[in-house]
Amino acid sequence: MNDEYTPKIIGFLCNWCAYTGADLAGVSRIQITPSLRIIRVMCSGRIDPLFVLKGLLKGADGVMMMGCHPGDCHYQKGNYSARRRYVLLQKLFEDLGFESERIGLWWVSASEGPRYAQVSSEFSEEIKKLGPNPVREEIFI
Amino acid sequence: MNEKIGVYVCECGPNISERIDIDRVLEEISSAEGVKVAKKFGLLCSNDGKNYLADEIKKEELTHLVVAACSPREHEQTFMNVCLEAGLNPYLFQLVNIREQCAWMISDKEEATRMAIKYIYAGISRVTLHKPLLKKELDSIPDVLIIGGGISGIEAALCLAGKDRKVYLVEKTESLGGMVKKFFELLPYQGSNLAVIEEKIEQVQNNENVEILTSSEVEDVRGFLGNFEAVIKSKSNGSETKEIKIGAIIVATGFKLFDPKNIPQYGYGKIENVLDALEFEQMSASGKILLKNGNPPKSVALIHCVGRNEKGYCSKVCCLYSIKFARHLQDKLPGIDVSEFYSDLCLPDKADQDYFEEAKKKGIHFIRADNLELKEKDGKINVEYKVAGGKKDSIAVDMAILAPAMVPSEDTSKLAEILNLPLDETGFFKEVHEMLDPISTPIEGVYVSGCALGPKNIPESIIQSQAASGKILSSLIPGKKIEPEVKVSEIREEFCTGCQTCLSVCFYGAISFDEYKGISVVNEAICRGCGSCVGICPSGAIRSKHFTYPQLYLEVLQALR
Repeated sequence: MNDEYTPKIIGFLCNWCAYTGADLAGVSRIQITPSLRIIRVMCSGRIDPLFVLKGLLKGADGVMMMGCHPGDCHYQKGNYSARRRYVLLQKLFEDLGFESERIGLWWVSASEGPRYAQVSSEFSEEIKKLGPNPVREEIFI
Repeated sequence: MNEKIGVYVCECGPNISERIDIDRVLEEISSAEGVKVAKKFGLLCSNDGKNYLADEIKKEELTHLVVAACSPREHEQTFMNVCLEAGLNPYLFQLVNIREQCAWMISDKEEATRMAIKYIYAGISRVTLHKPLLKKELDSIPDVLIIGGGISGIEAALCLAGKDRKVYLVEKTESLGGMVKKFFELLPYQGSNLAVIEEKIEQVQNNENVEILTSSEVEDVRGFLGNFEAVIKSKSNGSETKEIKIGAIIVATGFKLFDPKNIPQYGYGKIENVLDALEFEQMSASGKILLKNGNPPKSVALIHCVGRNEKGYCSKVCCLYSIKFARHLQDKLPGIDVSEFYSDLCLPDKADQDYFEEAKKKGIHFIRADNLELKEKDGKINVEYKVAGGKKDSIAVDMAILAPAMVPSEDTSKLAEILNLPLDETGFFKEVHEMLDPISTPIEGVYVSGCALGPKNIPESIIQSQAASGKILSSLIPGKKIEPEVKVSEIREEFCTGCQTCLSVCFYGAISFDEYKGISVVNEAICRGCGSCVGICPSGAIRSKHFTYPQLYLEVLQALR
């Protein structure tokens, strides 16, 4: 292993689209940097903003949320809830003085293995540029 | 802590064993809190593997099981079945995915091993918080409500009605048969003769297991697969309402024709002898093809694609019935001059091409044109048009027959609201998946068939009704209980503030508000367990079973080890 900084990123993936897309990336043997740690939820609508905040406060350098494309949600509209929450979270981050670039929301379908690999690698690179999350040293909750 | 957790790592042949140092994984995790045994096995999903796991659960008296192998989308159910067999509640088990998203995705073996350890730690800490969830069984009603008494509804009723299954066939108008009954004949390959349809209507009327409710509409529907309640309002019996209990519903409300008045250049409703297709069907059925002045027409223009651009889709059946009209006109009024104005021909079925070629041979003119405009001129209809290349031309005819787009029937949006079903951008009902699940809706036990889903010919409508019936026959077996989802949401009364935010995100209508207690209540039989309500509850009163906050939080913490 090299000494390069590997960020710690948490990814909340919905079971039906994004998680299946991530599986497909694996089945297709697409290689990615091991910075993302996946947590499966049934629907992106289940992603509580608290998970995102807790993750960042407990030491994550970035948090990814992934769900089905608009109109494709297995539960019809859960991904729209996720999108609204994501927008609110971003606003909250800005108001609190956190770096809102450390969170992101993507739509990844079950057939988009390459897209999963691409967005997670790109996000990882961006977080790498931002460096370690300062919040974990500055804020104690 | 009295947990006795068993952790089993699957080698998956070379798939995992070559990419992850399993021995190191075992060494690390065997000392984790609560872990009694940590072992590896060649292929856990094989029969040998499953027997091995079941024996281990019993021998080691495991309280929790963690399997590190493939994606839960692959073998979660396999191992849950093993748990069941070995007497362990299947929800006290966690499958950790170290293959797809770890072994196969991380090229560096050391990195992959490190990641696998993290994932397994997360599984171990999560599983200790799992609750033994129990399957529930509910009685179900095998009876079916069919909304719409056209050919789709009739076909479904005939497929479903039987000794153990009653069918309620609700029809808005006074009689069964729908649009098809208004036709004067069918296409030749469909047998031309409408008697086949009449026969089906008769069969359904004589079937003692079908209760036909004409002049009736569905007012309200509540419930879920196996246990729906519907309120049917009769328009003839002085608005009398009737409540029925059914287990499944088929929506077969068909279509209506686009109103050509919306496109003024066709002159419909203004120029005499401009008819729409249904008016001509009925004129033909009456046997008197006559102009307003009482004379038979000597020339007729058939105008395809009326409203196609406006609606944004092809209605699939108009080209063929327009050819049917042209040939009928030739048969009934020898010497008549018939021209078909089309922009694209739609001849999708195997018999269609021949039918079209024959029509051409019989002297029917096919003119590919656009920018059509119908004008009254010297008591005739002047059809002005532009052909390819932009050249303008015109012909004068005695009669013009428009083929308007098929659009959703009158009460589609009202019914969508009652049943909580989505519509697509064309206003028709939206299927779960056009290819993979073409007659299902997001509501379990509610299906849509025929033109309620979009333009279709008669055979396609019949196929869909047979398919919807098949779904019901296999999921709603008389006397058999149904098992609703176990991983559902539950609301803790003491925390619920009654803000009702959760009601707005539940797409399935599984949450209702208890006015007396002032709190929201989940109907576990309807809930599908997406967890949207959990994510949005501002007071943290809702818990999604098997995806609770502490369970996911532990996963987050382990991810950051």
